[in-house]
Amino acid sequence: MKIEQYRDMIYACGRCEFCRGTEFSDRCPQIFTQRWESSTARGRMAIARAILEGKLDYSKDLRERVFGCFLCGRCREECKKAAKIDIVAITKAMRADFVDRGVGAPEEGGKMTSTMAQKGNIFADSTSEHTKWAQGIKFQKGSGTLFFPGCLASHRFKEKTRILVQVLQAAGYKLDFLGDDQRCCGTPMWVTGDVRAAKQWAQDYVKKLKARGVKEIITPCPSCFRAFDEEYPQLLGLKEPPFKVRHSSQVLEEIVAQKRLPLKTSVPKVVTYHDPCEIGRYRGMYDQGRKVLTAIPGVQLKEMSRIREQAFCCGGGGGLKIMYPDYSQQVSEERLRDALQTTASVLATMCPACELNLTHAAYKTDAPLKVADVAEIVAVSAGLADKAILEPDYISDD
Amino acid sequence: MVDVPKVTQLLKQAVDPKRVTDRDFDIVAYSRDLSPARQKMATHIVMPESREEVRGILRVASDNNVPVYIRGGGTSHWDAYLPQEPGILLDMSLMNQILEINDRDLTATIQPNCTWAKLDQELRKKGLTYLCSEAGGPAMTIGGSVMKAGGGPHSTAKFGFHGNQDIITLEMVLPNGDIVETGSAAWPSAGKFKRQCVGPDLAGLFIGAEGILGICTEITLRIRPATDVKERMVAVMKTLDDVIELGHFVNRCVGDEYLQGFYLWVDPNSPETFLVMMDVFGYEREIVDYRKTRILEKIKELGGTLGDRAPADDYYGRILTGLTDIFTAGVWHFFGSGSLRIDDIKFLYRVWREELIEKRGYKKAGFGGQVLPRDWLAFMVTNYREPAEWEEIIRISDEINEIVLNGPVAPYGIGGRDGLRPFLEKRDTGYYRLLKTIKKAVDPKDILQRGIFVRKEDLI
Ligand SMILES: Cc1cc2nc3c(=O)[nH]c(=O)nc-3n(C[C@H](O)[C@H](O)[C@H](O)COP(=O)(O)OP(=O)(O)OC[C@H]3O[C@@H](n4cnc5c(N)ncnc54)[C@H](O)[C@@H]3O)c2cc1C
Ligand code: SF4
Ligand code: SF4
Repeated sequence: MKIEQYRDMIYACGRCEFCRGTEFSDRCPQIFTQRWESSTARGRMAIARAILEGKLDYSKDLRERVFGCFLCGRCREECKKAAKIDIVAITKAMRADFVDRGVGAPEEGGKMTSTMAQKGNIFADSTSEHTKWAQGIKFQKGSGTLFFPGCLASHRFKEKTRILVQVLQAAGYKLDFLGDDQRCCGTPMWVTGDVRAAKQWAQDYVKKLKARGVKEIITPCPSCFRAFDEEYPQLLGLKEPPFKVRHSSQVLEEIVAQKRLPLKTSVPKVVTYHDPCEIGRYRGMYDQGRKVLTAIPGVQLKEMSRIREQAFCCGGGGGLKIMYPDYSQQVSEERLRDALQTTASVLATMCPACELNLTHAAYKTDAPLKVADVAEIVAVSAGLADKAILEPDYISDD
Repeated sequence: MVDVPKVTQLLKQAVDPKRVTDRDFDIVAYSRDLSPARQKMATHIVMPESREEVRGILRVASDNNVPVYIRGGGTSHWDAYLPQEPGILLDMSLMNQILEINDRDLTATIQPNCTWAKLDQELRKKGLTYLCSEAGGPAMTIGGSVMKAGGGPHSTAKFGFHGNQDIITLEMVLPNGDIVETGSAAWPSAGKFKRQCVGPDLAGLFIGAEGILGICTEITLRIRPATDVKERMVAVMKTLDDVIELGHFVNRCVGDEYLQGFYLWVDPNSPETFLVMMDVFGYEREIVDYRKTRILEKIKELGGTLGDRAPADDYYGRILTGLTDIFTAGVWHFFGSGSLRIDDIKFLYRVWREELIEKRGYKKAGFGGQVLPRDWLAFMVTNYREPAEWEEIIRISDEINEIVLNGPVAPYGIGGRDGLRPFLEKRDTGYYRLLKTIKKAVDPKDILQRGIFVRKEDLI
């Protein structure tokens, strides 16, 4: 069993409940949606311990408690004070055990992974549909800097993705793009526990990108960012990532710091910023987005009550959007409430999954607020996009 | 034997079926507490939403002779909610609302599973506070604290344990389903503003009873304006006698007015270093400064050394958010603990040093305590590795508990068979006899918390 390697950590849980917090809605989106103690980190450690001790086994019914975790890392952050347990790693190991022991992931999760493996993206888009956003944009094959949008940005956020590329190119970055050759980074595989397939996927991908002369990857998707930067080296037993990998927030920060784009147009908006879990808590990248926002003339950054290490998940993590869409929606609406309390008219973030989920929450609740990527606000200020894209009633053609 | 499917069905009629589970993986998540108590599995977990649902669950339990256990925040550490025999465990989490904050009468009425942290957040928005004393962190609930009469390092030198004076009224569901109130709430047309009212103080019957006499469904407590001015101090005293003198100074000459939090810590690697963390708070800088000066003078007079206040700021500042590095060297066990006279701390210290460290060679447990008005709540605490060191720690702590409780120490937190219950039941005290009489009267079938505090066999 994969959880064996975490035995010491599992036994280290001292049952303090720091991970659970003061309220269902305080920290852990899983207990917010599922309520039972078995949906907290403490509960999961008890389950894992019982499995190690042979008192419990992986079962179909148990899946909801393990695959219903958003992998947001909020509990792990809290446990730094207590036992320093890597709850995310243990949850992923449990998911892998489900697959290894033949119980499998929840049906929708399994489907997502097989669709991705067969079609190259999680939406089963045709190649032409998946690269539509790039029509008319000139890329520089072999430049060594690969722009990697990821499935969500390609499929759902065509306009946003185009705008980001325009910003990057206007700032002088020479971007390569895989075009028809682009495939998903593989995240669905390890999120749903299919580690064996993930390893092969990573191996093939690295080979392909090396052959193309890729030295650096720039991506707007925190999952893709972590895939190339963390998961691939882990899966392939490498000490270093095979390429330099940067998230778009780091690149935008560089653009602002080096004044590579004139940000002349004032954007007189109250903006709040949502920390995506996978660049925030996972990687400590809290300042990049904020630095960019505060460099834009006119923008007034108003923070939510829960930010940085304590930010509440958007509901998009852990594959929940596909496996448990109702839970995912509930969490996104809770996070949206935080944003609405600030009275901001723009909820900015830097993750396509967060953007998707929070946009759904905004639509569903008819919220007077636009969910935007930080790059869009930069684009407006740099005169590369119309300010209408930041209005709550703006709907792109995507 | 509990007929699980039958009881599941009945419980699903009493509450929304979504709030009943008999699945092993759900139950296992509730099967341990903060202590080394053995794992104990419930047959069902139920999440009631109202007093009426609590009553409905009790009816099912009583009709089928299934015991009911009560879990608040689940952060206690003496086997105090773990099912001593197969039974229903109530997860009270959904009863967590703040019902009223009355800033005229300075009272707050809450459902029992409202956490201290949640209440404090709301109170502070209005410039008010309660000043929770226990250091149990974010998930610790008011109901759990009060039902076990909790007391911790913060503000106890002034206010004592929770329930001492700050609890005004309680609403309790008795094992027979009757819903009763205490204090002024007992007089329905009067309201919730006073503890000692109508007749005997019946709240005291439930406070500290660890749920064996009733399930708490509502609490009204005293709140106060937030105390904005604070001064924290750290001192190292040369001897335990000096600590005792300081304790007396706090409690004798100046009442509880000078020092509101007083926490002693002795590290096992340095058993002669008596570290004291102190907390003074108040409404006016002048008063706080004056109190601080008096304390500093006393420390000086006793030959103590003042240290950097940062550790005290950090410690007291984390009461509701979570202390740091608590399990780095293993999980926790508190033992050798209880209430004792200020002078008697020497006894407990001697047991710790001679019996634990010197005779048994166990050097991992620290020694600590806090001064309450006119007494100590003191303890030994260790980190140990589960499961490897479990047997050793149980053996040693049992031996130490025996010595300690044969001395001038009254136990604090009784719990079940893996808590201090065995020490209580083997002493034929009038207290235990009275408790059994009351328990038999209100809970003739021994439904509530069966085996906790009172041994089942002792009720027959
Ligand atoms: C880091 C840390 C520090 C701590 N520091 C302290 C400290 O300083 N002082 C201290 O005393 N403890 C301390 N504790 C222990 C714990 O936090 C306290 O005992 C706390 O009061 C328990 O509250 P709870 O809500 O978790 O109650 P639980 O553990 O859920 O329950 C406590 C008892 O109350 C009963 N109960 C709960 N709810 C009800 C109800 N509605 N009706 C009837 N009975 C009920 C339970 O059956 C049980 O007997 C600490 C714990 C941690 C993790
Ligand atoms: S914070 Fe860590 S040690 Fe504490 S209960 Fe949660 S997982 Fe366990
Ligand atoms: S990773 Fe997030 S959703 Fe999962 S248990 Fe931790 S806090 Fe909850």
